[in-house]
Amino acid sequence: MFGSRRALTRAVGRVRGMVYLDHAATSPLCREAREAMAPYLDDRFGNASEPHSYGREARRGVEQARHTLCQLLGCEPAQLVFTSGGSEADNQAVFGLAGRPLGRLVVSEIEHPAVRAPAQELERQGFEVAWIPVDSDGVLDVGAFRDALREDDRLAAVMWANNVTGAVQPIAELAAACAERGVPLHVDAVQAAASLPVDFRSSGVETLALSAHKMHGPKGVGALIARDPSRLRPLIWGGGQERGLRSGTENVAGIVGFAAALAAMRTRIDRRGELRDRLERSLPELRVISAGAARLPGHSLLLVEGIRADLLVLALDRAGYAVSAGSACASGESEPSRALIAQGLSPDEARSVVRVSIGIDSTAEEVDGFAAALRECIERLRAGALV
Amino acid sequence: MYSDAVVHHALDRSRAGSAGDAAAWGEAGDPLCGDAIRIELLVEDGCISLARHRSFACPHATAAAALACELVEGRSLLDAATVGAGELETSLRPGDHNRDCVALAADALHAALARAVYATTVAGDDRRVAVAMSGGVDSAVALLKALEAGLRPVGVTLRLWIDPAAPDTERACCSPMSVRAARSACHAAGVPHVTLDLRDRFRSEVVADFLDGHAAGRTPNPCVRCNGTFRFDALAAFADRIGASLLATGHYARVVQRDGRALLARGLDPAKDQSYMLASVPEQILARTWFPLGEQLKAETRAQAAAAGLEAAGRRESQEVCFVGGGDHRSFLERHGGGGPAGEIVDTAGRVVGRHGGIHRFTPGQRRGLGVGGGAPWFVVRTDAATGRVVAGPREALARTTVHVRPGRLALPAGRVQAKLRYRSAALPATVREVEGGFDLELDEPAYGVAPGQAAVLYDGDMVVGSGVIAR
Repeated sequence: MFGSRRALTRAVGRVRGMVYLDHAATSPLCREAREAMAPYLDDRFGNASEPHSYGREARRGVEQARHTLCQLLGCEPAQLVFTSGGSEADNQAVFGLAGRPLGRLVVSEIEHPAVRAPAQELERQGFEVAWIPVDSDGVLDVGAFRDALREDDRLAAVMWANNVTGAVQPIAELAAACAERGVPLHVDAVQAAASLPVDFRSSGVETLALSAHKMHGPKGVGALIARDPSRLRPLIWGGGQERGLRSGTENVAGIVGFAAALAAMRTRIDRRGELRDRLERSLPELRVISAGAARLPGHSLLLVEGIRADLLVLALDRAGYAVSAGSACASGESEPSRALIAQGLSPDEARSVVRVSIGIDSTAEEVDGFAAALRECIERLRAGALV
Repeated sequence: MYSDAVVHHALDRSRAGSAGDAAAWGEAGDPLCGDAIRIELLVEDGCISLARHRSFACPHATAAAALACELVEGRSLLDAATVGAGELETSLRPGDHNRDCVALAADALHAALARAVYATTVAGDDRRVAVAMSGGVDSAVALLKALEAGLRPVGVTLRLWIDPAAPDTERACCSPMSVRAARSACHAAGVPHVTLDLRDRFRSEVVADFLDGHAAGRTPNPCVRCNGTFRFDALAAFADRIGASLLATGHYARVVQRDGRALLARGLDPAKDQSYMLASVPEQILARTWFPLGEQLKAETRAQAAAAGLEAAGRRESQEVCFVGGGDHRSFLERHGGGGPAGEIVDTAGRVVGRHGGIHRFTPGQRRGLGVGGGAPWFVVRTDAATGRVVAGPREALARTTVHVRPGRLALPAGRVQAKLRYRSAALPATVREVEGGFDLELDEPAYGVAPGQAAVLYDGDMVVGSGVIAR
């Protein structure tokens, strides 16, 4: 098992001699997923809706994958809808549960844009949205959440773990609060499912969004799990695939790769937490954001005061390390991360955080090398910093 | 995303840091994106010997700051002033989203250059001309004419104070956007450009005068104050700094010589003539001033701009007082404590006929907003700051044939003149008599709505022979 672990990312993870520590953005395709997908990219190219052998072969691939995922995630095959990824799953859940006529939603301040933007769109359409704050560690205030909930709320939405800080949210307590009021809870588990043994049945949530590429699967495939799929509405209409909830010819290879990746991940020895702690111990001069929270094992959000993270990311890239900025304006987004502001960071601080996300195949040497490179880059950039 | 050039320059730390305590510095920032840039220039013998940058800014802005330093180091001040956002963009190729980040570095560079200019005196050059650039079409064509005349222009833009609470701070002629437009007009022609930040001085001189004047019940004209003295004083001082013997602006006015003296005269376009605004420019400054547009029509200016492909060709002109920033000046006064209390409206016999919301809302000759009904229309005759009263009456009550101008000065001994008592009013025939500290006017026909605080400008034909402030 250790041997296959070593083999996982060596082929793809080290692009041009780079060390990849941005697994929260995406992760390299694992060998198991690639091998499982290969036939479906080749001979088994059939359309899973067709009755001939090509089609039946493809259908078998899809349903086996569904079965595997249901086993691993604790749900029934009829509860799992394959989507094009996490964003589609989030959108379908939020818009589907909100429904019509106008009503009220309860949403955390730290949601990924794939949940926040649909909620804001509903707000624009006339829905009321109660935004729930987090504490200084980026963990949702359960009391405030419970107080905000009303029995006629259409849905509540809280992510399982935050993509920037890695802070894990008290999903069990939130689900219990929702159950008391009879409000369905949507949970974006895109980050969490790559690290935690997410189990749908015991979680008490109504809908759960997943994405394959964060867990060493392929891009372009994800899933929405729904306790009661009849509460959902399709976003895409057409040939009626996925019991009418998601039309479009199935991404068979992607779906097969998704299942293979999660299955492989669940068998791996996870040393991410150890490596993350090692990294943070070796950089005592930096403040760790959300240090007081339970965090995803690979996540570390480091505050480098006075230095813009987007610049630091470029410097680290040149030094051979790929990490990401907590907030970046390269896309024209001039506002700092709303999630970070919500947990009390100043706008300048929010622009100065670097997210390191360690992968399941990262090594101690890589992490040590990164710490040294970070220190060197900070020193170089410090000379031109405006204090 | 980042071009290779952005990555290269953002990570080039060879000019990161400080140029020392003796350096001239400039800063620019954008509170929205949190970017802040500081550029420091050490100037020795008119040359930039050291250019350094520090920032808390995105890679685009940081790269632009580093590149700006690289480009100006080793060059003379005026040569360095030809570097702007355009040149930085050519190298860095920012996307639409990041053009402002690059412009920010140009702003910081030019703020530093302006300080450096004030700390240095550049060797004189009798073909050098300081051209006042507003970002609009007139000054752009004035620059063109200076180049065509074989002069070596240096563009200068005054950054003036604009009410930050105003509804539209960008449309004003002295806004940051106008400064950038003026700079890019110069740089497109390969001409150096310097921005002088006169916000504080403008606020404490021109704007303060405007507020004080209204508080005292006068109707001050801040544009006359600004154009007549503030602006030209600053331009002349700048020209001295950069060793320019000449000044040029895009005003529609002329300077004529009479008996070895330089006198102001009307521009040839009767619809655009700005001599009224410029009447108080001191003679020693007029003597070195050239108005390249004084002998042509506005339509010709537009045609010349279009023919030269100038970017400013189609830009709309600003009309309202610039610093009120798109609002009306009454709400400006109210925001800045220049609004008087509500009070009584009385007729010329002192009988109370109504109430008003503050004397700053009224100027002699005004008909609207009195809310006094009955009989013939009522007009504002005068406002009285001491009692807070607005005196109103029929049109006849406004009639004035004697106008006292204090302070005032006559450029030439004069008898019969044409007197212009408001910017948009026709000049009236009058006889002038010089008195201690000013002059008195006897108008041939009564004038209606003579407002203390406005400028009185006297013409003999096209020539300005005197000017001053109407006292009563």
